[in-house]
Amino acid sequence: MKRIYLHPLPIRIWHWVNVLGFIILILTGANIRGIVSIFSLEWAVKIHSWLGFILLANYCIWLFYYILTLKIKIYIPPLHHPVDFAKKAITQAKFYGYGIFVGDDNPHHPSPEHKFNPMQQVSYLMIMALLIPVQIITGLFLWDPKLFSFIVNPVGVQIFDAIHVFLWIFFSAFMIVHFYLATLGHTTWAHIIAMFKGYEEEEEHGHGH
Amino acid sequence: MKTVSFNRHYVSGGVSLLSENIAKLYGKAVLMSKNPESFLACILYSIYAINLRSFWQPLTMEKFNRGAFMDNIKKLTAFLFIAFLLFPASYETVHSEISDQAKICLTCHANRGLTKTLENKEILSLFIDKDLFSQSVHKNIDCNGCHTGYMAAHVAKKKTIKSKKEYAQKASQVCSTCHPDDQLNKIPLHATLMKQGTCVECHGSHYIKSMEEWKKGLTETQYCFTCHEKAITKRLENGEILSLRVNRSAFKNSIHGNLPCSSCHPEFSKTSHPIRSFKSKNAYTAQATKACSTCHPDDQLKKSPIHGSLMAKASCVECHGSHTVRGIKVAKATADETEYCLSCHRGSLSMTMANGERLSVYVDGASLKNSAHGSLLCTACHTEFSKSQHPMRRFESIRAYKLERAKLCSKCHPDAYTQYEQSIHYTLFKAGNKNAPHCTDCHGSAHSVARTKTDKTLGLTSCNKCHAEWNSSYEASIHYSARLRGVKDAPVCSSCHNAHDIQSTKMSTQIKEGCFKCHKDMVKVHNQWLKNPPITLPTFVELHFEAVSCAACHSPGAQRVISLNMFDCKTGKPLTEEKVAQYLGTDTAGLMGKIDKNSNDVIDASELWGLFSDLISKGVWVTFSGEMDVSSSAEAHQLGAKTEATRNCETCHHPDSEYFKAVAVVMSTGDGDTTALPAESSSLQSVYSILPARKFYAIGGTNINLFDLLFYLALIGGLAVPIGHIAARIIFSPIRSLRKMGKGGKKK
Repeated sequence: MKRIYLHPLPIRIWHWVNVLGFIILILTGANIRGIVSIFSLEWAVKIHSWLGFILLANYCIWLFYYILTLKIKIYIPPLHHPVDFAKKAITQAKFYGYGIFVGDDNPHHPSPEHKFNPMQQVSYLMIMALLIPVQIITGLFLWDPKLFSFIVNPVGVQIFDAIHVFLWIFFSAFMIVHFYLATLGHTTWAHIIAMFKGYEEEEEHGHGH
Repeated sequence: MKTVSFNRHYVSGGVSLLSENIAKLYGKAVLMSKNPESFLACILYSIYAINLRSFWQPLTMEKFNRGAFMDNIKKLTAFLFIAFLLFPASYETVHSEISDQAKICLTCHANRGLTKTLENKEILSLFIDKDLFSQSVHKNIDCNGCHTGYMAAHVAKKKTIKSKKEYAQKASQVCSTCHPDDQLNKIPLHATLMKQGTCVECHGSHYIKSMEEWKKGLTETQYCFTCHEKAITKRLENGEILSLRVNRSAFKNSIHGNLPCSSCHPEFSKTSHPIRSFKSKNAYTAQATKACSTCHPDDQLKKSPIHGSLMAKASCVECHGSHTVRGIKVAKATADETEYCLSCHRGSLSMTMANGERLSVYVDGASLKNSAHGSLLCTACHTEFSKSQHPMRRFESIRAYKLERAKLCSKCHPDAYTQYEQSIHYTLFKAGNKNAPHCTDCHGSAHSVARTKTDKTLGLTSCNKCHAEWNSSYEASIHYSARLRGVKDAPVCSSCHNAHDIQSTKMSTQIKEGCFKCHKDMVKVHNQWLKNPPITLPTFVELHFEAVSCAACHSPGAQRVISLNMFDCKTGKPLTEEKVAQYLGTDTAGLMGKIDKNSNDVIDASELWGLFSDLISKGVWVTFSGEMDVSSSAEAHQLGAKTEATRNCETCHHPDSEYFKAVAVVMSTGDGDTTALPAESSSLQSVYSILPARKFYAIGGTNINLFDLLFYLALIGGLAVPIGHIAARIIFSPIRSLRKMGKGGKKK
């Protein structure tokens, strides 16, 4: 067994804060929309607003960490080799869609420099560079439309609400799938434990490249 | 009377003298019932007559000699004393020497309150002044003599009288019974008058005096007044009624008070009274004023340029009046300007507009002095005029004059006027709305302008002239109760709505500024609880202030309504009903029918979208800007105490909030009012409304229902992936075990 230090401490903290934040935000979001009633509306809004700002700070931690350490490149697909990247992505998809069932090895073997498989790379880039910022910004707009009226007014606050709600729906589904995929390590809890400890365990023979 | 003559025969000396005197006095009393002295005699005689038998017997000479005389003197004195006591009571009965029948009638008709309502609702007084009647030449005539047939009708109670006029005519016909027409027609003056009026109009009815009194010793003026003091009129050819009545005392006090009537009315005299006919009052005035120049030649009057120019436009009587002409003694050199102007304008002057309206140019000197303008000279406002200049101006109508005049106010009150020009009142005024107020409509006539600085009452009373319908709801408010308690600066209308730049409160948040004038720091106050953590920002309160009216929370028990106000995004102004109708190719009446495609009298979500997309396709960037307000203006005025206000977030922010049940699509009508078309409350929660009402967002109220459905679908989808995947893994697990065993678990 080989131990790879895949998740540095700041990233682990960021990740688990995010997990907690997302779950509560999704629930209070549902509460605000009136489809569950865990809290009173007033408290649901308060919690939602507080957590929104916490996750904004959290996102900044993530951003600064990855930019300052230049590790941000792990999120960026090798667009200079598009064909190669596409082939790898298909291989990865084949693994999840077929190989995994018949006992194939995961084609991707993570290392600190190549943390994500091509599918992860594309989806995490989308999420981190686009969806979360959009969710944070639209959240801010809804938090105080008047403060951002210079942009909210001409566009219309309902448009931002629609975007925010769509992403809430997306993240709700994402959280489920994300959790499920996290159980697909060499053992069910391997990836999850790694996310706490920082070290990913890998069988010695598992080198694809 | 036999006894009398018998008595006379036997009584002699002092006694006979006494009885003769009594008889004489009695006769006189019959003739002059008014004389108290003879009246007393009448009583005495009565006593004498009643006691005659016992009276003359003792008074025979033998009895006289027997010394019984003194007893009788005592008796007489006692009678005299009783008569003296009875005198005041009996005086009345004997005094009015009128017929017995009249006495009977007068038992009722001497009552001042006796009236009859005629068929045309006129009230005819049936009162007869007994004293005056008893002086009349007709006093001895029975009532029935003139009121023939009335007595019988009176009893049957079936006499109907159409009008006073008709009654006078009928009553006058009776006169000819004694005064035949041919006799009356002999008098030339009378003959002409008889054709015009009824007898009673000139002569009166119950108090007719003898002809001697009627004419003799009368001056010409008095003679004319015998008729013209009465309310006589003349019907002119155009149907106008010209009053021929002249107020005697006003005439006497006028500068012409000493002139005989014929000085100005040369055609008339005590013997001549031609009947004339005039087309109209104006024609009569033109004719009548010709007489003025007899004494006041034109060249003399035109010496004053002011008067000269006025003469060209108006007839003498229009400014000076006719029988009430007053002397105008203006010491031009010494009179101050205001006095100079008032020398004419304190009279009943008026000017005629081109459309025939007449505007009084009378100024009450006293109220001018007491007004806020009391210390100003006339020319301060009326700049075109001075002691040497009096231009003649002509205006189309009183309205046109008012428009022109309003500019006068702006000279000294430019700020107020500029504000006014922005008001809804001015917009309506300019559009020709006759009820729209201008400066003087609220402040009172320019010459009696109230001082408003210290007294705010004007800000209530003047508004109530037109807006009285809101007064009762204002009186139900905490504002009014504060005013009743005498709280200084307790608000009246103008406190919130402003005095001059009054705006329509519809489709605007302007009225809030009115609240904030007194309720300072409201953002801060609300921010104490109305905030969104983690940072407390005033914008969060301002956001609510933009979309929710003060009254929506502070008018207890009011019904709330969500107004989707239609605005044009390009101009930022409200869309008017007319414009919307025009874009949709219909008129304002057919607007709802055009929008409400399924004709259920309520706009649903898809119809809202239809209206939106129709207007967008016509190039109108419409938006339906949401606002929560109370449902009626009355509710907006009955504001309650602070403790009664709504403060719970969920009251509004809940998908089932009562406050979001009434929804209306609102358009401006252009004159400051709005038209509200009812809409379904569910339309706010439909995807159709996202774009039309893209600027209206209220947690709960505008939740788009479809998104919740999508959320459930996403959850199901999200769970389906792992479930499916796990299922596949279970299905494939035998293959996996096989490969592990066969190939050592290694591929490639």
